[in-house]
Amino acid sequence: MASDNFNFPDKEGFFGEYGGKFVPETLMYALEELENTYNKLKDNKDFIDEFYKDLSAFVGRPSPLYFAQRLTDHYGSGSIWLKREDLNHTGAHKINNTVGQILLAKHMGKKRIIAETGAGQHGVATATVAARLGLECHIYMGAEDVRRQSLNVYRIKLLGAQVHPVDSGSATLKDALNEALRDWVTNVDDTYYIIGSVTGPHPYPMIVRDFNSVVGKEVIEQSKDLFGKMPDAIVACVGGGSNAMGIFHPFIDIKETRLIGVEAGGKGVATGEHAAPLNDGTPGVLHGARSYLMQDEAGQVKDTKSVSAGLDYPGVGPEHSWLKDVGRAEYVAVSDDDALKAFHEVTELEGIMPALETAHAFAYLELLMKELDSSSNVVVNVSGRGDKDINTVAEIDGIKF
Amino acid sequence: MNRLSSKLVELKNTNQKALVAYLVAGDPDLDTTLELMHLFVKSGVDVIEIGVPFTDPIAEGPTIQRAHDRALKNDISLKMILDTVKKFRTVDKETPIVLMGYLNTFISHIDMVKSADSNSVDSILVVDVPGELNLETYGISNPNINTISLISPTTKEERVESIAKNSTGFIYYVNLRGVTGSSNLNIDEIQKNIARIQQYTDLPTMAGFGIKSIEDAKTLAAYSDGIVIGSSIVEMIDEESLTKEFGRIGKYLREMKTAIS
Ligand SMILES: Cc1ncc(COP(=O)(O)O)c(C=O)c1O
Repeated sequence: MASDNFNFPDKEGFFGEYGGKFVPETLMYALEELENTYNKLKDNKDFIDEFYKDLSAFVGRPSPLYFAQRLTDHYGSGSIWLKREDLNHTGAHKINNTVGQILLAKHMGKKRIIAETGAGQHGVATATVAARLGLECHIYMGAEDVRRQSLNVYRIKLLGAQVHPVDSGSATLKDALNEALRDWVTNVDDTYYIIGSVTGPHPYPMIVRDFNSVVGKEVIEQSKDLFGKMPDAIVACVGGGSNAMGIFHPFIDIKETRLIGVEAGGKGVATGEHAAPLNDGTPGVLHGARSYLMQDEAGQVKDTKSVSAGLDYPGVGPEHSWLKDVGRAEYVAVSDDDALKAFHEVTELEGIMPALETAHAFAYLELLMKELDSSSNVVVNVSGRGDKDINTVAEIDGIKF
Repeated sequence: MNRLSSKLVELKNTNQKALVAYLVAGDPDLDTTLELMHLFVKSGVDVIEIGVPFTDPIAEGPTIQRAHDRALKNDISLKMILDTVKKFRTVDKETPIVLMGYLNTFISHIDMVKSADSNSVDSILVVDVPGELNLETYGISNPNINTISLISPTTKEERVESIAKNSTGFIYYVNLRGVTGSSNLNIDEIQKNIARIQQYTDLPTMAGFGIKSIEDAKTLAAYSDGIVIGSSIVEMIDEESLTKEFGRIGKYLREMKTAIS
C-alpha cells in the first residue's frame, strides 16, 4: 500500500537528512520487529483487504469531499472543498492510523497497547481499536492536556483504557511521548506502542503516513469526480503532521497542487510563544528522529504554547522537514486568536464545528483566498470535529456551565 | 593511552572490579557537583559518570529525571560542565570521567566536544544513538575521547559484535528492560548476557541500571568487570541538597567498593 510516487524513507529510515532511529538500545529490536512485520504485510493482499474493510465498515470511509458554499461565498473567490475527516468514527483522522496499527499488533501477537495523546483524539482512537480487540490499553497524557481535554479523558476511560497523567516537564504532548517511550522500554516484550503521528523513530513516520495516505488517495479520485482536475492547493494543520502527511503524500508528484501546512502560531511566531518548529526552529533530535525542533542554543527543547492541545508539540514529523527543505510544501503559522476566530466562523457559516487544530488550517484561508485566482479549487483537510474543544472555547469566551 | 582505558587495564591486571558512580551535573549546583566528584574519588569510586541534563531524558526513571529538571533550572550547559571538569582536573588528573547524555545536547556543542584536550573528559556515552552507529557520523570525534556503547537484554546476538566493534571505552550492559532506577533485576539473564558479550570483545563490561543494594552490587560484580550506581546516589544528593552534608554518600560508596572487591 506504500505509494510508488515517492521513495523515502531510505533503509535507515531517513528522509534526506531527517528521520532515523535515535532510541535507547533496548528498543532497537522492537523497531526492527515492527519494521519486518510491516514490510511483510504492507503488500499482502489479505492484510490490505482487512485494513480497507475496517476503514469502510468501522471508520465509515470514504469520507466525503464537501463543497463549502457559504465559506466560499464569504471569501468571494475560488472554491473551498472540505475533506470530512471529522465524520470518521471517533471524530478525527487519527482512527485511520490506529485501525492499521492495531492490525500490526494483532499479527505480532502483542497483548498490551500503549499510546501518547495530546488532544485526546489519538487516545480515543487507540482505546477504541483496543476495546474492539479486547486488548489491555494504557494512554499517556500530559497533566495540562488532561485538564483541557477532560471530555476525551472520560471517553478513553469509558472505552476501558487507563489514562496516566504525566506531570514531568511541560506536562503536554512531548512529555506524554517521553513517558510512553519509557513504558515501552520497560514492557517491550508484550507491548505494542501505537504512535499517533508521523513522528518518532523509523519505521513509525512511514507507517503512520501510509495508513493516513488513504485520505489523499480519496481526494485524488473525488477531485476528478467533483471538479474534473486536481486541486490548486491543499491546506492542513500540522502538529506532529499526520493528517497533513496523509493528504499531502499522494500529491507529492502532482506538482500543480500546492501543499500548505499550517502550524500553531500561539501568541504569534515573533513572540517565541508558539508551537511552530518549521517556521521558527532548527534541526535537532527528539523522540527518536532528527527533524526541525524548537530548541535553545544549548540543545534543550523549548516549551510550546498553543490553544490547541493537538498542535502543542515542539517537534514535527521528519518528512515534513524534508518537504520544507526541498520546497515541495509550504509551512505557515496562524495565531491562537486567528484560529479561534476561524473556529466560530466555520461553525456559523457551514454548520461544521472544527477541532481547534483544524481551525488553524481554516484560518489560513483568509490570506490564501486573496492570493489565488478566482477559478481555484482549495481543499481543506478537516482533521477533526470540535466537540472535544467546547470546554476550552467556553472558558476563553468566559462562559461557565 | 586514554585515561579511562588505562584505568580499566590497571584494575583488570590487579583483579579488581570498577566502581562507576553517576551524578547529574548541576544538581543542585555546579560547586556541589565538583565537591561530590572529589568525595566520590575519596570513597573508592574508580570512574565518574556525569549526566548531562536534557529536557527529555527518555531513558531515565523519575529520580534521575527530577535531577535533570533541577539542573536545568540552573541553566546548566555542556560548556559549564566542561569548565567544572577543568577545575576538577587541577586537583585530580587521574580519575576517568565519562559524560552520559542525549544526542541533541552534544550536537549543539560539537565544537566544544571536538576541541576538548586530554585534560578534560575521557569518554562519551550517548544514550539515544544505537551502538552500531558511529558517533563520528554526528561529529562526535576527538582522539582524546573514547566512546561507550550500550548493550541491553533485548540486543540480538548478531548485533552484539558490531556494537562491540564501535565501542572504545567499555561496554555498558543495561541490566534490565526499563529506565534507570527500576528494580527488576534478573540475575541469571544478566550473567548469561554478559558472558555472551565477553565472547565478542576484550573490552571490559560494566553492569548498570537497577543496582541499589550492596547485595546486588556484590552479585553483579562477580559476573562483570564493574558496576554502575546511579539513582540511589542521585536520591541521596537530593535528600541532602539543603544541608550539603554528604557523609552518607561517602559511606555508601565505601561499602559498595568493599562489597565488590
Ligand atoms: C483533530 C486533530 N487534528 C490535528 C491534530 C494534530 O496531529 P497531526 O499533525 O499528527 O495531524 C490532532 C492531534 O491530536 C487532532 O486531534
